[in-house]
Amino acid sequence: MNEEESVLLARGLRKEYGIGEGLVRAVDAVDLEVARGETLAIMGPSGCGKSTMLHLMGGLDRPSAGELWLNGSRIDRLSERGLAQLRRHEIGFIFQAFHLMDELTAQENVELPALLAGRSPREARRRAFQLLDQVGLGERATHLPSALSGGQRQRVAIARALANEPLLVLADEPTGNLDSAATLEVLRLFEDLHTGGLTLVVVTHDERIAATADRMISMRDGAFVDETRLTGGTSGNLAGLIGLGS
Amino acid sequence: MQQEVVLAMLAKEPSQGFQLRARLDQALGALGEAMNDGQIYVTLGRLEKAGLVVRQHVPISADRRGPKVYELTATGQERVSEWLGEVSWPKPDLAEFHLKLIAAAAAGLADPIGIVDVQRRELIRRLREAQRAAMAESDGSEAGLLLEGITLRLQADLRWLEACERSWTDRRKRS
Amino acid sequence: MRHHLAQAVLLVIAIAAATATLTMALALNGVTSQPPYAATRAATKGPDVVAYLTSTSQAKKLVKAPGVANHSGPFPVASGIIRFDGRQADVFAEGRTTAPAEVDQPLVTSGTWVRPDGIVIQRTFADALGVSVGDQVTLNGESFAVAGIAVTAAQSAYPNLCNGTHLGPTPAASKFSDACPFPSFNIPLLSVHGSDTATASSDDVGQIWMTEADAIGLTSKVNPLTTYALNLKLTNPDNAQAFAYDRATAANAPLFSTWQGLGSEDAVLVEDGHGVLEPGAVLLALLAIASVAVLVGRRLSEYARRVGLLKAVGGTPSLVAATFLAENLVLALLAAVIGLLAGWLVSPLITSPGAALIGTAGAPSFSLSTAADVVGLAVVVALAATLLPAIRAARSSTVDALNDVARPPRRRRKLIGLSNRLPVPALFGLRLVARRPRRALLSAANIAVTVTGIVAVLAFHAYADGRLSGASAVTATGLSDPVINRDEQMLTVITVMLVTLAVLNALFTTWATVLDARHSSALMRALGARARQVTSGLVVAQVLSALPGAILGVPLGFGLFTAAVHGGALPPKSWLVATVIGTLIAMASLTVVPAQLGTRQPVAEVLASEAA
Repeated sequence: MNEEESVLLARGLRKEYGIGEGLVRAVDAVDLEVARGETLAIMGPSGCGKSTMLHLMGGLDRPSAGELWLNGSRIDRLSERGLAQLRRHEIGFIFQAFHLMDELTAQENVELPALLAGRSPREARRRAFQLLDQVGLGERATHLPSALSGGQRQRVAIARALANEPLLVLADEPTGNLDSAATLEVLRLFEDLHTGGLTLVVVTHDERIAATADRMISMRDGAFVDETRLTGGTSGNLAGLIGLGS
Repeated sequence: MQQEVVLAMLAKEPSQGFQLRARLDQALGALGEAMNDGQIYVTLGRLEKAGLVVRQHVPISADRRGPKVYELTATGQERVSEWLGEVSWPKPDLAEFHLKLIAAAAAGLADPIGIVDVQRRELIRRLREAQRAAMAESDGSEAGLLLEGITLRLQADLRWLEACERSWTDRRKRS
Repeated sequence: MRHHLAQAVLLVIAIAAATATLTMALALNGVTSQPPYAATRAATKGPDVVAYLTSTSQAKKLVKAPGVANHSGPFPVASGIIRFDGRQADVFAEGRTTAPAEVDQPLVTSGTWVRPDGIVIQRTFADALGVSVGDQVTLNGESFAVAGIAVTAAQSAYPNLCNGTHLGPTPAASKFSDACPFPSFNIPLLSVHGSDTATASSDDVGQIWMTEADAIGLTSKVNPLTTYALNLKLTNPDNAQAFAYDRATAANAPLFSTWQGLGSEDAVLVEDGHGVLEPGAVLLALLAIASVAVLVGRRLSEYARRVGLLKAVGGTPSLVAATFLAENLVLALLAAVIGLLAGWLVSPLITSPGAALIGTAGAPSFSLSTAADVVGLAVVVALAATLLPAIRAARSSTVDALNDVARPPRRRRKLIGLSNRLPVPALFGLRLVARRPRRALLSAANIAVTVTGIVAVLAFHAYADGRLSGASAVTATGLSDPVINRDEQMLTVITVMLVTLAVLNALFTTWATVLDARHSSALMRALGARARQVTSGLVVAQVLSALPGAILGVPLGFGLFTAAVHGGALPPKSWLVATVIGTLIAMASLTVVPAQLGTRQPVAEVLASEAA
């Protein structure tokens, strides 16, 4: 893949904690490229470093070593101010625990990043409505999070992540707190967004999420150990799955 | 008992019938107890007829003969290699895959972790298809329900494959 | 656990400060309740009536009057000017025998009694002059040695020698007057003797004793001997007032002082001190309650989980509340002990300078009732601050407590809408205040108490400065005023404790505010707010909640001051404005540090650890 098409590029990324005997390599010399419009899934057991990797990509944490490029600009050496700018305009984040503000309605939650970015309140409100519509919660815009189900809350969080039209959306275990039905809601939404051209990196240990990705990477002990391309060609007939046909 | 399983168990070395039985018991544990004693000899007989296995005396010295053992033929070897590479997924019975891994490790024919990885990829692709089909269905359709069942089972199988990978990785680390 | 320990320590400190002040207040009270004057009177065979005669012939009649049991004198009283180490003052020099008198034998506290060329100086006067036994002083130009320092019950102590109650023709006419009891001494002596320094006030007069010969030696044609002091002991001391009134109205009557008049004046001296210490103690107690309330509020949410466990294993609501209270009470008792000890150590500083009289040497007496009062205060503070949270904790649902579900934040639609138009720090700050109004209220209350204290202290300073007819701590001739000194010392102690407690309180409050807002702060940063914006927002939140409290504290502080010391004017407006602004700036600065520390922590970590 040529560099112009890649939204995110990581070379030799490292994150270490502690010193000497207590040194922990959460992320160990990882190389990664994410293409525009691609959905990438990173899977691995607990403690393998996938969440840390995501935080590094999203500017929520600084790498110990290595290079990180977003849309052609180097971001691993940015100041705190630059990182904040990044989170405001280029990157949207979705958390496992949703992290909505409980005292704000859905639309107030969604418009918050726009307000932080300096848009006028009216503009921010308009955009919020638009996004909530897009995620299918147009009628619940004035509901508080406590009046929404888990799946709905996560969809609000997704809308919020899209508020400032980011280049890249990062999702950390987005269905971790959701039941099967709510997971399906979120899956559908991700599919729609993918079709719309969204670039998404998902960290998950839910195979169903991973199965929706274009590419799946397995991670263990801080390093990438396996990569699977999921799009391009089908593998067998569906009928074979249920014992019909030979 | 799948024929290929017995074939693969002979890949390590020629064995007598009861030795094979012992190895299977060890691999299957309590699940193996349900196995009929005679089953294994029936399968061996079929394999012999198909030309995948021969039965002959083991030469001990120039003039003494040992007991009769079963041994893979060249065709048999080929079949084993082929089988190891196959990614068809057994329905409910996971024992076959389990034994595949053990046989591969014992005979040194293939890396069990590699086998697991390959199978995982295949299952994820199938999961993807089933999921897409499920999402294409409208809410509450009958086909949708069936597809949801398929996805959930595939998900469960994938979990088990991850466990296999962990377990075999640990085993390798310890040895 | 470390968190828990730190909070426990802070709780103890807050209550200890309040109890220490109360201890000192009670110690002072203890001093006055068995008034030192009575002790001095007993120890010096103090007179019931003192008469100031213009000639010795007036003595005969008085000595023989019915009701008189004993007498001493008449003693000649000469006037003079004492100079020592660049300081000078007027003196009344009473001529005495070296042998002890039957009535009013001043008690020598250091040195010896009078001898030829050896004078004895009244104790507070000696303090003001700065002399000790063995020093050489000049009296009317001649040199004398200081043989000793003594206390007496026959005259008011310096600087109130000339400000005593003197009996006029009628009881109504008896009042505090600026006139001296020595009739010919109404002319400022210093001007008589031609001093070129500024004229002294009538405060600058002190009492000394010398041999009769020396005293007469001080007189001259310009400074004749015109006064004699006669000390009378009555068969019935309670008749002193009547005795004096009967004889004060006659023509050319002598001036009289009675023991009741002298005693009441002493009480006023000490009461002044009271007027500073008691409101101070009340204020500190309030501050302590406020600080403890803030601390307890934080502890509660950490406690909720333990509460839940207790309830889950079968504890009843009352058991839960009792456990919570018990923990805090134990800490309060510990603080009470610490406060008692601290007060015991510091009290002598406050009580002794005010004592021209004996009975206050060393540590004041500590009775069981003092200890009981102090412990009582500590318990009250602990109860007042923890009862409400304890009850709430007990009533909370077990499941909620186990899941550590804090009370959900409040929603104020209008404020949220309003904040939309503001820049990010103000947006964040306003929303923080809106989401936890009770916390903001508590913050405001804390600030109000603090500012109340500061304003009351300022008012008292202004009052004390102007009180003694414009006199400052150092008189024009260089003497220091022990009363004002003592008052100022007490005020200083109270002010120091107040400031300490106020700073502690401010620290607790700001730290609690920042901690409460941890999740919101991290989330804002995750969404793209800069660390500086978040810090500013926290400062805005703190100042917003502190502002009403600071403004309210001004009238409250003045109210407290007037309640304690009847009368007095508002301190200068500039001081008040400076106090309010200074407090707000202090709160803002104190918020910045924990806020900045908070923004150092990686966002992901905070979000992972905190629920909303």
